[in-house]
Amino acid sequence: MSARWRYILAEAFNGLRRNLMMTVAVVLSVTVSLTLLGASLLLSDQVDLATDDWVGKVEVSIFLCDGSTCPAITADQEEQLREELEAEPVVAEVFYESKEDAYERFTELFKDQPNLVESVDPDILPASFRVRLHDPALFGVIAEQFSAYPGVEEIVDQRQVLDQFLSFTDVVRNGALIVAIIQLVAAGVLIANTIRLAAFARREQTSIMKLVGAGNWYIRLPFVLEGVFAGLLGALASWGLLYVSVPRVAGNLAREVELMPFIGATEVLLIGPWLIAAGVGIAAFSSIVALRRFLDI
Amino acid sequence: MRATVRSHHRTGPAGRHARRTDRDRERDFVIRLQNLTKTYKTGRHDEVVALADVSIEVGKGEFVFVVGPSGSGKSTFMKLLTREQLPDKGQIWVAGKNLASLRSWKVPALRRDIGYVFQDFKLLPNKTVTENVAFAAEVLGKPRREIDRRVPEVLDLVGLEGKEKAYPHELSGGQQQRVSIARAFVNNPRILLCDEPTGNLDPTTSVGIMKLLDRINRTGATVVMATHDQHIVDSMRRRVIELENGRVVRDQSRGVYGYAG
Repeated sequence: MSARWRYILAEAFNGLRRNLMMTVAVVLSVTVSLTLLGASLLLSDQVDLATDDWVGKVEVSIFLCDGSTCPAITADQEEQLREELEAEPVVAEVFYESKEDAYERFTELFKDQPNLVESVDPDILPASFRVRLHDPALFGVIAEQFSAYPGVEEIVDQRQVLDQFLSFTDVVRNGALIVAIIQLVAAGVLIANTIRLAAFARREQTSIMKLVGAGNWYIRLPFVLEGVFAGLLGALASWGLLYVSVPRVAGNLAREVELMPFIGATEVLLIGPWLIAAGVGIAAFSSIVALRRFLDI
Repeated sequence: MRATVRSHHRTGPAGRHARRTDRDRERDFVIRLQNLTKTYKTGRHDEVVALADVSIEVGKGEFVFVVGPSGSGKSTFMKLLTREQLPDKGQIWVAGKNLASLRSWKVPALRRDIGYVFQDFKLLPNKTVTENVAFAAEVLGKPRREIDRRVPEVLDLVGLEGKEKAYPHELSGGQQQRVSIARAFVNNPRILLCDEPTGNLDPTTSVGIMKLLDRINRTGATVVMATHDQHIVDSMRRRVIELENGRVVRDQSRGVYGYAG
């Protein structure tokens, strides 16, 4: 390492040590804001996971009798039902999901919860027709016409279930995002102020450096790195916090809420780079803005 | 003590270079101010004229005193040379660069040609003598080996051998000013600007500092020294530029501090 870089790094770390209290405040505030940001990102992941492609595509599920609660549907009845569904003008597409398909999709969806998968008998999941409509609002037409059909157990408006779930998660996620952004701005202002104080405390040294002819960035970089390092620490702390807490919370929820897949440690690991980019980015930006006027030639 | 006053008469550089022709000198100017005006705003409509229509030329290797009472424009003059201030009107060249149009990213390069000595030394208290001097070379990214060779050389020149590991508070004022001069000179600047370098020192110590500045001047560096110290100016007999209310009222080779009386 050249003498130049050794100086820059030594200055940055000295600055952090000298202002220990301020550094702690910056790290904590970055941690809080990025934890909230991470939480809202993870909530998006959770929504994507719970509403996989299949559910997202389908508006109406027509569950078929398998003989446990109503007389099992016959092959003829099934064929007739499919033909009539396909003949309906409001229907865009019809998929058939057999009992085996349903079980397969179920095990895929809940692969993170092997206990749940084990407890479910492949036989109890019903076969169904899954129907996509040209206009999801026309669910009533289908329900009215087909609910009395022989062999049809139940018709469920998936869109309605999904919309309720989505509107709830949207509110939570947006709330977390807004608080995260406000916190992030506060963290940025705090960083800017800290760096300004650090620059003021070392103004003698910087004024000498300027008169000796040190380059602008050579003078600024220690201060910027000071901010960036604090931002990085905050980002790592929030990542660790989410990594410890989210799988635990998700595990508890999975026990409470049945039949919904939950995110785990993998998703938390994947958002890490985003948290670091946000923490380092906001720190670098505020440090540079803070120094802009203070250390100009 | 009466001096011959040759105001606004362009006198040649003092001493050894006195017999050179004008043409030679034109090429060798390291500082040149032309009709330079600088004003400061003190209020919405009020302003103070710090320098008014000043023209000064300083040749390579000259030793120049800039004298005048407080508020005469000395500090502004020094600040313009390092481009801490920009002129309002007129031209200023330093070390071959036109400062009025110099881009700000080129200012560090200008300042590498200038060594600056302060009245209050401005040494870093937590660094030793060697570290203080080396610092000025380090921030320019000089290689370690060159710094290790150059610093003892400069400390030797300013007469601080044996004090390398001392901290500024362990040194006398004169010794601290020597460290400050060593720091200004370590990068071999073409110009040494001294802002009241003896202002905080007693007369005997001041003489030592002036001998040192003279020795540095003899190595070829141009020395510009702003001062209030009458005895020093009188004893050195070098070029004197006197400012008053922002104007050059006297520019005299082998001058003294003030008019007799």
